[in-house]
Order: sequence, then structure tokens, then C-alpha cells
Amino acid sequence: MDARLTDEQQRVQETARDFIESEGGIELARRQLEGENVVDDLWNELADLDYTAITVPLEYGGFGEGMVYLTALLEVTGRYALPGPLPETAAIAVPLLTELGTEDQQSTYLPAIADGDCRMSVAVYDDETESLPHAIQMRAEPTGSDSESAFRLDGTKTLVPYGDDVDAVILAARTRNSQGYDGISLFVVDTDQDGVETQRLDSLDWTRPMYELTVDDLEVGDKALLGPVHAGGSALQTAVDRFTVAGTAMLTGAADRAVDLSVEHGTEREQYGHPVGRFQAVKHRIADMWIDMQSARSLVYYAAWALDNDEPDATRAAAATKVYAADRLHRVFSDDIWNHGGMGFTWDHDGHIYLKQAKSWRNFLGSPESNRERLISARLATESAKSPSGES
Amino acid sequence: MDFSYTEAQESFRHELRDWLEENLPDGWLENPEIPSDREERNAFFKEWQQTLAADNWAGIHWPEAYGGRGASLIEQTIYREEMARVNAPPQINLIGVNLIGPTLIEVGTEEQKERFVPNILSAEEIWCQGYSEPESGSDVASLTTKAEKDGDEWVINGQKIWTSYAHIADWCFLVARTDSSGTKHEGLTAFLVDMDQDGISTEPIHQANDDRTFNQVYFDDAVTTDDLVVGEVDEGWDVVMTLSAFEHGMTSIYSIEQEYLDLLEYCQEETRGGTPLIEDDNVRRQLADLDARIQAAKMTHYRNVSTQMETGTPGPEASMDLVVSDELRKDLLNFAVDIKGPAAALWDNEHEAVDETSGYIRSYGSWIAAGTGDIQRNIIGEQVLGLPKDIKSKTSHRGE
Repeated sequence: MDARLTDEQQRVQETARDFIESEGGIELARRQLEGENVVDDLWNELADLDYTAITVPLEYGGFGEGMVYLTALLEVTGRYALPGPLPETAAIAVPLLTELGTEDQQSTYLPAIADGDCRMSVAVYDDETESLPHAIQMRAEPTGSDSESAFRLDGTKTLVPYGDDVDAVILAARTRNSQGYDGISLFVVDTDQDGVETQRLDSLDWTRPMYELTVDDLEVGDKALLGPVHAGGSALQTAVDRFTVAGTAMLTGAADRAVDLSVEHGTEREQYGHPVGRFQAVKHRIADMWIDMQSARSLVYYAAWALDNDEPDATRAAAATKVYAADRLHRVFSDDIWNHGGMGFTWDHDGHIYLKQAKSWRNFLGSPESNRERLISARLATESAKSPSGES
Repeated sequence: MDFSYTEAQESFRHELRDWLEENLPDGWLENPEIPSDREERNAFFKEWQQTLAADNWAGIHWPEAYGGRGASLIEQTIYREEMARVNAPPQINLIGVNLIGPTLIEVGTEEQKERFVPNILSAEEIWCQGYSEPESGSDVASLTTKAEKDGDEWVINGQKIWTSYAHIADWCFLVARTDSSGTKHEGLTAFLVDMDQDGISTEPIHQANDDRTFNQVYFDDAVTTDDLVVGEVDEGWDVVMTLSAFEHGMTSIYSIEQEYLDLLEYCQEETRGGTPLIEDDNVRRQLADLDARIQAAKMTHYRNVSTQMETGTPGPEASMDLVVSDELRKDLLNFAVDIKGPAAALWDNEHEAVDETSGYIRSYGSWIAAGTGDIQRNIIGEQVLGLPKDIKSKTSHRGE
């Protein structure tokens, strides 16, 4: 038992921090939200640092690492609200390709991802007001002689992060009449082909642009089908669990910086002849921010480790990160704005960047409510398995 | 990063588990019953501690030479988990085992160790801790109970309060003022004081939960001797710090987790309007929130233990534990009372296994004890985050 990052993982964090600081720190996110696209240049540098290769298996030129390693890095990128589809690529696409992909799919995408030549995102929502899995409505009609060799995709996906900045998306569609997670199939769809269009949406969080992605009567062959037909639902849920933990890791990093900003303000800003951090109302609020941030970090560490090791409580652990962070880390960002008084409400203070990120992440790929349900169902299942007398 | 246990640690767990199955009070696992009469209850706790001590399970973190097992922090974590799992009775001499014994082993004289330490694990002598005073609560260093030298004796006058176990204690670990001329942290001395003397009287405090485990202790020309000074005269604050280091790393998160699991079982068994409680959306939501908070606190404890295994001192996460655990327990029991329905208006429901009502009221005691959340948040704000210190006096204490 050693519930801490290894020295090597800590070094990764230090290197990442030095690199991002040298590139301007949160200025990168600010440039992105002012309308510049920093993702292309930044991604090349992330690839030079091997960050795009972390979760790619060794045989495809990656490091074969898992969520523990990745979340250690994402904590740092989250600290600076670093633009780019790193969690989508490294936490969703790569593990799905690794687990479900054919040799052909793996050799097409994985080495390119590792080298920084391929970025990926995720296209699941057909309706931005519905939650998963109901939001998945697009049909993928079999068109070939058998039911698994060719499909026709037609429709518009919404809420596709970085839709215009990626080379391919993991797209979820229904291959038969079904509800829930049944009957869902996953596809890898290249975005640069005819019949695929993206349209920018006006998102709450401008550092993470959202897109509509329209597929117009697109014929795809079995090279696009990822994993078993009709049965991609459970892999999608696991992928969402990974994204949940990746997202909490990023917000934990952001919360860590929000604590730093509040501490700095509490030390330097004077009112009534004292630094405001001397007053317990402010001091205790910052202490609570720190407690919530550390608690979220603890949950991320365990969930990442549990996912990497296929622990029986991995699902519960992943769900717990969102149940906790959706409310508590949101409060951390909110309190940071409060601590800064009028300055907290300005564009210049970084608080709004974090707040908007937390708010848009909250219901994306799993709401706190659905994660509560996922958590308690998983808990009840393990408890009833433990005691023969217990009933489910 | 690795959250798994080694084979040796797992076999430690099984050794303890087997031992508990053999040695827990008769029928405990089916129906854990504690005598309601105060004296019978104390006798019950004392006997339990002696059973533990007989097989070196009373103070596993103590050195083997003193009847412990020299257990690592991870083994202590396993121990807490397993004790919580069977809802084991508490030991009667908890303060002695957790605080006084380890402090004496570290800074006591050879004579003190020989005289006192063996009787702590065996519960032959029960200990209490005399720190807080009516005018010195959070600001413990401002205490004014006085000890004056008279030949090779010390004469003690003053009053202590919130002293757990004082009514049954044989000895008191007392901090008193021996010099009023310096700052408040100077001039304190730690003493071991025999509670069985005319100069000491105790008066139980009637608590909000109708129990009487805290006391006021009056010292009226009470006496102790030179050889019972711990550490140096006037350097008692160092001893206080040594002792308080043993408080860190203690956590109640495992017993909270067990209470949560009991509550989960209750929600599966109990029905409202013919429907199991567990099928109620609101119940599920609240359970899920508690679950996530408990897991967060537990994983934070693991992180802290891991840090302490390497550095020898707890990481800053340790100061979180009191805040988080106390609030968790209070919220958990608050919820447990709520879901009883209108029966929440009754003090106890005999047919229910979860001791929620009295536990709920009692949780306000642990919420306040060992420094309120405000004090813990000050520690985090100032010592961990480096925020400016509160406006408070460092130099004065109430002298005469």
C-alpha cells in the first residue's frame, strides 16, 4: 500500500508544470477563449513531451500506462485549463481502440495518436437536453449483405468537444431498435471525409469549444465499427467512467490553483488594516476549499488505480469522483470568486474560467444524479455479494 | 501508487479476524449488547481490554517489549478496519493506550516507564488527561492551574474540565503552571498525579446525550512528587506537543464506514408504505453522497498513512481528518434519524439495530471534542496554507 504518486509520476507533473508555465501558463487558455486556436501548436509540443503516448500500448509506440499516470498529468493540465482534447483522446479513444479495435484499426490510429498526428473526440449526444443513454438516438443502418459489414450513418451529433480540431471521433449509434445501453454500436469516424461536417456551437466554456458534427448519409464499412455490433454500451460506460475520473483530475488541478489564488489574495489584500486572510470568515472558507480539493484528489487516485487494476469497485470509485466533485469542487471555484470580492467577478481574474469549466463538465457524459445512482447500485451489488444473507 | 495489501498484511488481518471470532464477548456478532448500568458497563469494557491485552491486541502500535506488536501504520489501519467491521467494544483505558503510554515510553524516566506503562494495556490503572480548564478551552496554553514546589513535593491548585474518564481514573496526566513570569507557553509542567487523594474531587458533567463521561476535576492542595514530573520542569509544552503527535493519525473513519454499511442494510430491510426504503430516490441519493464522502475520507487517510510511513510524521492531510470525520458522522446520524419517519421523535426504537438517536446526539460531543472545526480550520489555514495568523495574544496568560 502506497497511496501516493511515485517519484516518477511526480516528476511528470513537475515537467508538465514547467513546460506549461514556460508557454505562458493560463495565458494559453486565455488566448483560446479570446478566439485564437492554440490547440494545433500546443498539441505538437505535448506530443514532443510524449504526453499523447502515455496510454498508447507499447507495441504501438506508446508507454502502455493507464489512468494513474494520465490523471497525474491531467491534474497539471487542468491547473491551467489547458486547451486540447487530451482527456477525450487519451482517456476515451485510446483505451477503446486498445480494448475493442481490430489490428487494422489499432495500427491505423494508435501510432498516429502516440506521435501526435491524430487527435480524437467523442460524439454521443443527438439531443443536448437528454442524458446518456437516451441521448443516443442516431441510427446506423446495416447496408451490406450481412448485418455487420457496412452501415449508413445519417444525422447530427451535438456537444462534440473540439469537433473541428480532431481527426476522428468515437461515435455512438443504435444498430437496432433499442433503449438504454442495449443495441448501441461504436464507430470510429474520420472527420476529414466527405459527408462529415462540423459546426461550432457557442459554448459556456470558451476554452473547450463544442461542435455539432453532421454525418450526411455516410457509408462506413466494417473498418469503422469498433467492437461488437449492438453491444458497445458497456464499453461506452467504462469509457465514460474513465472520462469522469480524467475530468475530476483536471478540476482537482484547477481547484488546487484556485486555493493558491485565494491564499495569495488573502495574504496580500488588506482591509480594516489587516490582510483579509487573517479573518476567520475568509481563512476558514479557504481551509474548506483545500479540504474539498484534497478529498477530490484522494478519490481520483483511488478510482484511477481501481480502473487500471480492474478492481471490483472501480465503477463505484469512478462514480464517486463525480458525485463528490460536481458539488464540492464547484463550490471551491465559487468560493474563490467570493474571496476575491469585486475582482472575483472580472474577466481578468481566472475564477470564471474554472467556474465555467466546472459547470459545463457537470452534466457532460454523466450527471451527478446518474453517477449517484451508478454508485449506489454498485455498492448494493457488492454488499449483497459479500453477505450470503443479504438481499439485493 | 498501489492500494493493495501485501500477503503479510493480509495474513495479519486474518490472524486478527480469527482471534476476534474466538474472543469477542459471547454472542457479540449476532447481538452486540453493552450493559446499560454505568458500573457494569465499565467492568465490561475493562474485561474486554484485558482480553485484548492478554494476546497483545490492546496496543498493537506499542513496542513488543511493552506488550504491543510494534505494528506498522498499515497494520494499525487494518486493525481499525477489522475492529470496526465487528463493531468491537471500546477499550476502557483508551487515553492511556493511545496517548499516555506512548508519551511515557518516549519521554518518561526509566522509573516512570517501569512503574506505569505495564498497567496501562492491562487496564489495571485507568488514565485521564488534565488539560482543559473553564477559562482555557481552545487556548489551552493559557491554563492557570498551579503547581508549587514544596520540598520534593508539588502542591496543585485549580480546576480542570471536560476530563473524560476522570470519575473512574486512577491517574491523571496533568499539565499545570509552574512559572507565571514568561509567555503562556513557558512555565508549564507535565505531572503524573494520583487521583486517589483527598485534594482531588471530581464532578461529572451531565451531557446533552444524558450520559456523564466528562467531568470537572478540582485540585485543592493536591500533591504529587518530583519523580512524577514528565520531561523538564517549566518545559511542559514540549511534552504536550509530544503527546498531541500521537493524536494525529488516529481516525474514526472506519467506524463511520461501518455505521454507513449498517444503515445501508437497514434501508434494505425496512419498508415505508410497503416499499423498501432503499427504493426511495431521496434515500438513494443521500446514501450515495455519504458513500462518496466516506470513500474520500478513507482514501485521504491512506494517503496520509503512506506519507507517514516514509517521513515518520503525518502529512498535512492529517489535519483534515477531524473536520471531515466529525461532520460526516453528524450528517450520517442525522440522516439515520430522519429516515425513521415520525419515530424520530422517540428516543430509541427497540427493534432497530442502528443506534441512531443516541448516536446522533452523541455525535455533537465528538464534533466539539479535541478542538472544534474552527480550530482545525485555523491549523489548516495557518500551518498548511500559510495564511496570516489570527489576531491573538501570545504573551499573556491569566496569572494571579
